[in-house]
Amino acid sequence: MEAMEIDAEKHLQRKQSLYESLDEKFRIEKETYRGQQYSQIYFARLHMMRTLIYSLIPNWKPHLPVCTVLGLEEGKECIIVGTLYKHMKLKPCILDEYSKERSVAPLVKPHNFMHSDDSLVLEDESGRVKLGGTMLLPSVYVTGTVVGLHGKETSAGEFLVQDILDADLPPQIELPLKSTVLSIALALTREDKYVVFVSGLSVGSSTSNPLQFQLLVDHITGHLGDEKEQGIAAQIVHVVIAGNSVAVPRGLLNGQNLASKDQSRLSEPIKELDILLTQIAAGLPLDIMPGPDDPANFSLPQQPLHRCLFPGSSAYNSFRSCTNPHSFELENIRFLGTSGQNVDDLEKYSEAKDKLEFMERTLRWRHLAPTAPNTLGCYPFTDRDPFLIESCPHVYFVGNQDKYETRLIKGSEGQVVRLICIPKFCETGVAVVVSSVSS
Amino acid sequence: MASGNMKGYFKQKKSGGGRGIAKPKPSKKSTKIQPTHVATLGSDVVQPSTLSAHNLQDDEYDGNETVLRQFDMNMAYGPCLGMSRLARWERAQRLGLNPPKEIETLLKQGKARADCLWDGCV
Repeated sequence: MEAMEIDAEKHLQRKQSLYESLDEKFRIEKETYRGQQYSQIYFARLHMMRTLIYSLIPNWKPHLPVCTVLGLEEGKECIIVGTLYKHMKLKPCILDEYSKERSVAPLVKPHNFMHSDDSLVLEDESGRVKLGGTMLLPSVYVTGTVVGLHGKETSAGEFLVQDILDADLPPQIELPLKSTVLSIALALTREDKYVVFVSGLSVGSSTSNPLQFQLLVDHITGHLGDEKEQGIAAQIVHVVIAGNSVAVPRGLLNGQNLASKDQSRLSEPIKELDILLTQIAAGLPLDIMPGPDDPANFSLPQQPLHRCLFPGSSAYNSFRSCTNPHSFELENIRFLGTSGQNVDDLEKYSEAKDKLEFMERTLRWRHLAPTAPNTLGCYPFTDRDPFLIESCPHVYFVGNQDKYETRLIKGSEGQVVRLICIPKFCETGVAVVVSSVSS
Repeated sequence: MASGNMKGYFKQKKSGGGRGIAKPKPSKKSTKIQPTHVATLGSDVVQPSTLSAHNLQDDEYDGNETVLRQFDMNMAYGPCLGMSRLARWERAQRLGLNPPKEIETLLKQGKARADCLWDGCV
């Protein structure tokens, strides 16, 4: 009988990568609330986008004059730029609760609020004008997007739209290696690094299976499988958790005083999450983003989850609590993503063939969450709109979706973006791994 | 809409101690109490005709304030409510709107009201 060979111990080193966080513009610590309303953020958005669209008009239709809404003349073809407002009769309005005639229909329908009678209006500082014609589809656009429109005013006072100008994809910083002879040689030796995305862990909820998450953690940290498997795990350089990591048992919060056993039940899910995150953070850099169900603030941009929620993991400097939306650069690849609120809100007020199409639209409109602050909670910034996308990401992700989907989209100036929908882990058990080499 | 006739419509209050809703001004640049400019507390001026001659009753209102009010009302620099005048000027500067430099110098000197004309009134 042959003695069993003991493999010589092979030390597998995890790959390292350069990471830079670009979340500064989503922090609100320096902001002070001075009683301002949302008109300020809309002004900042309109101004930044309008300047941009004005610069694109000479390449689009240079022969047409540009004017403001108030400067429209009947019958004269021109271009106007402004913010769209979609008038939707099914959109729940707070005044409905006070109306004298209570209709039989329930006040809030949870799903899509679209109706065939929805109409669009264009607004700038000087005025607003109703939009007509068949070119501009109310089912595609939402309140808050800034577009340029070519058309003319009709005798009825409407603006008949003949053509639409979206800002389109923003400029993208080229990835350092493009196809040249030298780069192909380098690409062969270039290491392939993986980034793992997961969202919707919902630790503590009835649908989540702790064994599944433990299996994922074991795989990431290299405790699973043979050498080959571990070799793959060693190429994982970063983990991003995109929201809804914990499910606080809200049934306990019913306005009564919490009994002491209820108090410990309330904090159990987050303690369980911390234990699992410590295992990951001990091995590699980890980013955690807040989601709609997490103990963070409600309005976008959601601020990072507090360190004291994670006493175990925050001891490691590889643990990073991030904002939602989250933007970072890894190995010169720019990542941008949210925990899903922007796309979920778009789904309520417009339609598309799949979630990826909503994501593509937000990129082409250069705005992460155009429905904020109209139907999506948002901080009333005064001097800027942090959701404007100035530089095109290479990878754009959205968490807490129903299923995994991905697509590659291209821009008119050679931009290439990988769109990713990250499914809810508690329902699907699926995490997404993105490779740094090849799109 | 003469200011005199409107007194009957609004509840009259003692003009003495009633400075209830005036916010504590952060900078005590002048010793005079600056009256609020709209219909409150027994003030004579009920209609906020801010750019008209009715408000020349107080000594604070001078040429500088007119210029600043024009800056407040100018649509090109965006809404004025909810921001201090200097913050709004700086925002206009940053967005490339080229606001007049005199406004900045006036505001930085500190003699004028730091907040826009509607502040505290809406």
